[in-house]
Amino acid sequence: MTPTAQDLLSACIMTLATPPRPEDAGLFAAARLRLVALTNKLAALEAADAAAIRVRENAALRTILAEAGPAHGIAADKLPGDGDYSIATLDAANAALRRLLIRLHEAAEQASDRALDRKILKLYRDMAGWRELHLPPVKPAS
Amino acid sequence: MNAPAGEALGARLERYLATLWNAEVRVRDLARIPGGASRETYRFDAEVDGKPRGMILRRDPTGSLIDTNRHIEFLAYKSFHGIVPVPEPLVLDTEGGALERPFFIMSRIDGGQVPSVMNLDPYGQNARAIGEELFGILGRIARCDPATLPLRDCLQPPAPQLCWRAALDEWQAVIERDERHPQPIVRAAIRRLRRNPPPPPAKISVVHGDYRSGNFMHDGRGKILGVLDWEMVHLGDAVEDLAWCFDLLWNHFDDSRVASTISEKDAIAIWERASGLTVDPAALKWWKLFSTVKGCAIWTTSAREFREGGHDLVLGFAGTYSARRHERIMADLLERLVEEGWS
Repeated sequence: MTPTAQDLLSACIMTLATPPRPEDAGLFAAARLRLVALTNKLAALEAADAAAIRVRENAALRTILAEAGPAHGIAADKLPGDGDYSIATLDAANAALRRLLIRLHEAAEQASDRALDRKILKLYRDMAGWRELHLPPVKPAS
Repeated sequence: MNAPAGEALGARLERYLATLWNAEVRVRDLARIPGGASRETYRFDAEVDGKPRGMILRRDPTGSLIDTNRHIEFLAYKSFHGIVPVPEPLVLDTEGGALERPFFIMSRIDGGQVPSVMNLDPYGQNARAIGEELFGILGRIARCDPATLPLRDCLQPPAPQLCWRAALDEWQAVIERDERHPQPIVRAAIRRLRRNPPPPPAKISVVHGDYRSGNFMHDGRGKILGVLDWEMVHLGDAVEDLAWCFDLLWNHFDDSRVASTISEKDAIAIWERASGLTVDPAALKWWKLFSTVKGCAIWTTSAREFREGGHDLVLGFAGTYSARRHERIMADLLERLVEEGWS
């Protein structure tokens, strides 16, 4: 699993709170500060819609599993819900749904179900697009 | 040559080199520099008989993006020093007692720049010159006969028809070991790669393993001064390096040029002239998708180590930003290859 916004911010705090060693001064210390800044930006982007993206992905997974699962031997009547919408609960549901999607895709490939294969590939593109984090370019260090 | 715990790194290094060279050594201006996530990198001057010499120390970290063998990396520098621009390797210590962890030392190349992948248009008006150098050097690496290089002592050549499988098996195993959340996209990519293997290479070559923008030093005027970060070097299909260097992750936000230098077509032509090899388009497509799988494996490991290990921000950033961006590149490529007829 990629780190959560909470993981990233906690690491920034630990980095800033750890006294640098003498040999870390200079270029490395400057690079470390730039990385803290960049990671804060990343955490802000992730935090802005972390729950919404998980809810959207989980809904899309439930839909495709409900539509195509039974024909490929995957029961879709007890798919996990999103619970209290905390990131931990959403991720737990997402993990269960993704495992079922892997099984569904393998089954579709084995059955040469090309329509479902294409549908799942398009879903992959959507899922990756929803989760991608767009950072702006950074000016080169002088 | 074990050092007392808590002693400063500079003093340990000074003592180690003095014993090694049987001379009085002064270590000056020791400073850590940003230099890859797989080893700690330091610059320093070693002064012997009043004469300073610029050096780089690469020490194993406590946590890393990838498990690599510093002996192989050292031999890679030794193999290519004098053939392509690389720093001269000087000392290898695999025991690690002197500096707490295994390390090696090489000569320092001064006056160079290494752009971040987050920089826009890092080569400016020198982009074409850098591209010509970048792919010419890569072609020269591919042209070398591994049996004539020091690397032959530690790397076994795979059979040409098994190059792809060896590479895919290795990185799939990393994903299976380190994955903490199911990743359906990379699983699908791996299945597709296995069903659509590439044609075998005409010869077995040295594969740098991480040849890309950000892993070489240039002088700001269009000349490459040193190819760095050989920790993933192995023997295999040279197109693997080409595909990795073409990966959109390393294009500095510019999809029209590979590594923000020149067009892919020009890069291939330069590489073919320098290597004496021909790029099979089917092989290149396979290795491009493989590159995204390999990237996914590296970022999966970095995320695991970040969450379960030392909270190193380099690992956290790579395990988040690079992982998400690479997954997008993978999903796009996978869909396109199936549209083009991959089974």
